[in-house]
Amino acid sequence: MPDGPSSPTRLGDLERVVMETLWAHERGTLTVRAVHNELAADRDIAYTTVLTVLDRLAKKGMVLRERVGRSWEYRAAASRAELTAASMRHTMEDVDSGDRRAALMHFLDGASTDEVADLRAALAEVERRANPDA
Amino acid sequence: MIAAMPPLALVVLALLMGGVWPRLMARQTRFRYTPQAALLAWQAVSLGAIISALAAAPAAIPSFSGGRGLGDQWVLLALVCLVSGAVLISLLVSGHRVGTRLRALRDDHLALVDLIGADGQGRDRSVRVLEHPLPTAYCIPGRRSRVVLSQGTLEQLSTAELDAVLAHERAHLQARHDLLLEFFTVVHEAVPAPLRVPVALDEVRLLIEVLADRVAIREAGAVHTARALFAVAAGRAPDEVMSGGSAAGPRLQLMAGAHSTPWLTLLAYAFALASVLAPVALAVWPFTM
Ligand SMILES: [Zn+2]
Repeated sequence: MPDGPSSPTRLGDLERVVMETLWAHERGTLTVRAVHNELAADRDIAYTTVLTVLDRLAKKGMVLRERVGRSWEYRAAASRAELTAASMRHTMEDVDSGDRRAALMHFLDGASTDEVADLRAALAEVERRANPDA
Repeated sequence: MIAAMPPLALVVLALLMGGVWPRLMARQTRFRYTPQAALLAWQAVSLGAIISALAAAPAAIPSFSGGRGLGDQWVLLALVCLVSGAVLISLLVSGHRVGTRLRALRDDHLALVDLIGADGQGRDRSVRVLEHPLPTAYCIPGRRSRVVLSQGTLEQLSTAELDAVLAHERAHLQARHDLLLEFFTVVHEAVPAPLRVPVALDEVRLLIEVLADRVAIREAGAVHTARALFAVAAGRAPDEVMSGGSAAGPRLQLMAGAHSTPWLTLLAYAFALASVLAPVALAVWPFTM
């Protein structure tokens, strides 16, 4: 099923492309016109669509905007690395919070250093059972 | 007086199934060898507790019919109505709260990983790869589900181990383990805080992991699944502060000691059946007298 122009997936994709454009400019600010120019280079996209996407991202707190002269300039609120680090910290530190544990299902809920020796022994036992002659 | 028995028995049963049995069941670790049947038993006990509590008030009705009047039985009526009403309301409130919270968390997180994550191998959009050296893997259940991996996982795990991780996560998504966990969370939170049994929720959570591990073992083999689990645990251990042990230990030990358990399975199914039938029988009985 093709996505309509305003379907969430397509907007999500555009948000991603816009963020990537802003990230590529290392905290530099860009006008809507500049973002549009970069995006229009390899796709058919309206200026107002870019404006809408930037607006949505600003509402989500992903981009910051400031008035420069007569136009708005936009920049990423945080770099991709910062967001990734924060996200990893969140999902891994809050493993004890019941909500996050029920919302996201982790392959492993965490492990402590003093546990690793026991885990190694259990792994050796699995390997030994699978291959008794070795 | 005999008419007062079923409603009172239902209240007692609700307390047993809601608070006492879960404590005892959480200690029966040998049922981890038959996770599917064990999870069914857990669901049946939760359901049995709910049926008992909800049926207590209706089951009291026949005591007052036939023109016998309220007499001195109004205390009983008040008690059972209180129990049934309170349980119904707390279940509805808990269901709404838990559902809203989980969906908000998932929506926010999904939007974030769609922005910051890269596509998985072969431009697979449903897999998001986070640019981070620590190994981690999880899934975001829901209508638009995602499997999230970190670059550390891709680098530290072999292809076969990665297959095990993906099979594990996809098992969660396909079997909708999130709904199962949500059901138990709703029931758990419907109970007043001092009466909750956190060990029961932990055991259920572990059983769900064991179930997904079994799918991973079927698809990638026990050795690769165990190695994947170990690699993720070892790769993250120094960075995590956890008071108790994680579920990795029990899960690896289950893989090491795997054996068939037909009797335990049968026992769990029989227990599940009895847990639902007992309250239903008690609820229907007054109307047949
Ligand atoms: Zn899992």
